[in-house]
Amino acid sequence: MTPLVIFLLVALAALPASSQEIYDLLLKGGHVIDPKNKRNDRLDIAITGDLVRKIARDIPAAHARRVVELGDYLVTPGLIDLHTHFDAQGAPLSLNPDHNSLRYGVTTAVDAGTSGWKNFEQFKKNVIDRSKTRVLAFVNIVGSGMFGSNVENDVNEMDPEAAAQVVRKHPQTIVGIKTAHFQPATWDAVDRAIKAADLSKTIVMVDFHPKPGRGYRELLLEHMRPGDIHTHFYGRLTPQLDAKKKVQDYMWAARKKGVLFDVGHGSGSLWFRIAVPAIEQGFLPDTISTDIHKNSIMLPRATMTNVMSKFLAMGLTVEQVIERSTVNPAKAIRRPDLGSIEEGGIADLAVLQVRSGKVALLDSGHGKLTTDRELRCVLTVRKGEIVWDTEGLSLTDWRNAGPYSNFK
Amino acid sequence: MRLIPIVWTVFIGMEGVAQGQPKYDLLLKQGHVIDPANSIDAVMDVGITGGRIARVAADIPPAEGRKVLDVQGQYVTPGLIDLHAHVFGYSGAIFPDDTALIAGTTTVVDAGGSGWRTFDEMLERVIKPSRTRVLALINIVGHGMIGPKFEDDTGDMDPEKTAAKIGANRQHIVGIKVAHFGGQGWIAIDRAISAGKLSNTPVMIDDKIFTNTGRTSREKLLDKMRPGDIHTHMYNDRQLEVINRFNGKLEPYMMEARRRGVLFDLGHGGGSFLWPVASKAMAQGFAPDTISTDLHSSSIMIPESDMPNCISKLMDLGMTLQDAILRSTVNPAKAIRRFPEAGTLGEGQIADVAVFSLRSGVFAYKDAWQKKRMSTKKLECVLTIRDGKLVYDLDGRGFPEWKEAGEYEVLP
Repeated sequence: MTPLVIFLLVALAALPASSQEIYDLLLKGGHVIDPKNKRNDRLDIAITGDLVRKIARDIPAAHARRVVELGDYLVTPGLIDLHTHFDAQGAPLSLNPDHNSLRYGVTTAVDAGTSGWKNFEQFKKNVIDRSKTRVLAFVNIVGSGMFGSNVENDVNEMDPEAAAQVVRKHPQTIVGIKTAHFQPATWDAVDRAIKAADLSKTIVMVDFHPKPGRGYRELLLEHMRPGDIHTHFYGRLTPQLDAKKKVQDYMWAARKKGVLFDVGHGSGSLWFRIAVPAIEQGFLPDTISTDIHKNSIMLPRATMTNVMSKFLAMGLTVEQVIERSTVNPAKAIRRPDLGSIEEGGIADLAVLQVRSGKVALLDSGHGKLTTDRELRCVLTVRKGEIVWDTEGLSLTDWRNAGPYSNFK
Repeated sequence: MRLIPIVWTVFIGMEGVAQGQPKYDLLLKQGHVIDPANSIDAVMDVGITGGRIARVAADIPPAEGRKVLDVQGQYVTPGLIDLHAHVFGYSGAIFPDDTALIAGTTTVVDAGGSGWRTFDEMLERVIKPSRTRVLALINIVGHGMIGPKFEDDTGDMDPEKTAAKIGANRQHIVGIKVAHFGGQGWIAIDRAISAGKLSNTPVMIDDKIFTNTGRTSREKLLDKMRPGDIHTHMYNDRQLEVINRFNGKLEPYMMEARRRGVLFDLGHGGGSFLWPVASKAMAQGFAPDTISTDLHSSSIMIPESDMPNCISKLMDLGMTLQDAILRSTVNPAKAIRRFPEAGTLGEGQIADVAVFSLRSGVFAYKDAWQKKRMSTKKLECVLTIRDGKLVYDLDGRGFPEWKEAGEYEVLP
């Protein structure tokens, strides 16, 4: 929906101006953290239909059909997970999107190249169009997507023009091009992905395995463009630190140039022994994401709130963690309509708790970080609908519900 | 470089070094073991080797474990068996590993997602690639559970072909499912039971009785179902008249059916666990023989019908944890004739183990109508072992602090 259409809808719905609107849903009393709008305060949020209608202190409970008291919980824009694998009918490691997103506060999941330009349409039909979660996608430069090394190493599968065509056909859904897992020591995969992004005026997300003659420094400084994203940047495959664990100069140079660094936790790409020294030196991620798939969701437990909790434990503030999970990924994929809470915007919200207690978090190597608090998703609103409510905050006690029965 | 053995030596002490190789791959120390099959309900240690339960005893020396998991204060049970899951075919089907293993469920039984025409696809796409043990009740409908157009088609309900498919896949198929039949009369149930007789397997029934189906609860339970057949969705009052609507009493034919050997399965799902029905039935002593989730893309969201939550809900209605474990392990294993290869921590059996924390606090449990019931206890899975391998470890019991692990690679 364009901003103009949203404006007109809001303007229309607000008529006549003199009468008080009755809201469908009022989230009351939560602590709103909305980094894009610099909100960090106790605020109420009123929702009607699928839109946020009002954000203000003390919206009267009497003005809403349903009121949810949030106490000390945090209210954030629906989280954006920039690196997921949700082509559940397609490539083998994929998961189902809804229960692996909405339960963790993620209302927008960006699939990172599970499908390619040949099978994106299938992915869209089978999963994207059927999901409650907003599923966006980087389309793989490999036409068949992530179906193993045979296709992923095949340069003939990498057609920039064909990929760009698919992107142009789905501008609302496809946010860029993905290249990943390419083993031959040439620049074909990266360069073709960048070519496809140039042709479609989008960005590239790069998963990179350095080889002799195909170095990480060159990738960052000579091949990637400002706005392109290196994912897995705390992984073992790329030399982000020198032997003394100092962040390499080219990391800073790339950041200055505008290259973005995404976590993409996964089974192999978040190591405390790398991330902790990098963060101590001030090299924080631009975007926090999970690389959630059938393996990473198990032992390292790469769900969105779990990955965010790891960054909280490594010294980021709650605000920094939220910023890197909402407005930053929205900017990265050039979707200013996402990642913030706006009057008139789609009501995608997460209610999070910072829970205290002994917490142990595992990295991709199964090293443990013991800490004293974690983020947990209590309630999720997607398009104005409460889709997750683990504490039943919005629900009626059965004793007060009157008689009910499936009998008809 | 692997520094892990050194790290563990610190915990194990000099005794372990002196004795050489540890006996057990995994040693769970000081958990409260509930293994109903062996009448164990006490603090015990569990040693696992080569994917099998090697020993359950009061005090196994820590030195005998290669990896020692301190589970003091937690409950250790056989991996749970979810008798009613959806991992194939059905539009709400979800994958097993990320939904079952993290909940302590090591065996799921897909309830009729595939039929004889589609089972082979399920075998390749779901059963073989999953770490969870996936078994199947195949649908009497050849195409499986893919919507009313197919599920009402009596022409696709072939007992011989269904039985033949079972005969050729006894390792994976444990029985027959009949579900969602929208037509009148008994033809779907009769065909399923006929296939059950031909293949000598049980039938699981999901069946609406009202809206002019010409079927009644009494006839279904007392005349049609055989001993060993399973009625799922037992607390859905559109499936069974468990409780008399007028006087609130348990219907006598429920007890009569139970005496005959008909089994009653929970099958929580998105429509089949109602506090008004379940609380009345439980108060009159009519508990599920088997606790199961009917977990799918909807029931996993607001109702959160995973196994630990189903158990917690029944505990809030008066069931003991020990009894709930019996009905989530031994009973479903017996119902599908997989006991004792599943459902027990008996020595020599496959090492499928779940570890639970019984948390105190304030919790809300939600039924299929999204009505909540407040409680102060919650069972939560903290660790799962499947086939002898640690697959889920919420609190990182099995792993060292990263700072002490050196330049670690992936720790085993």
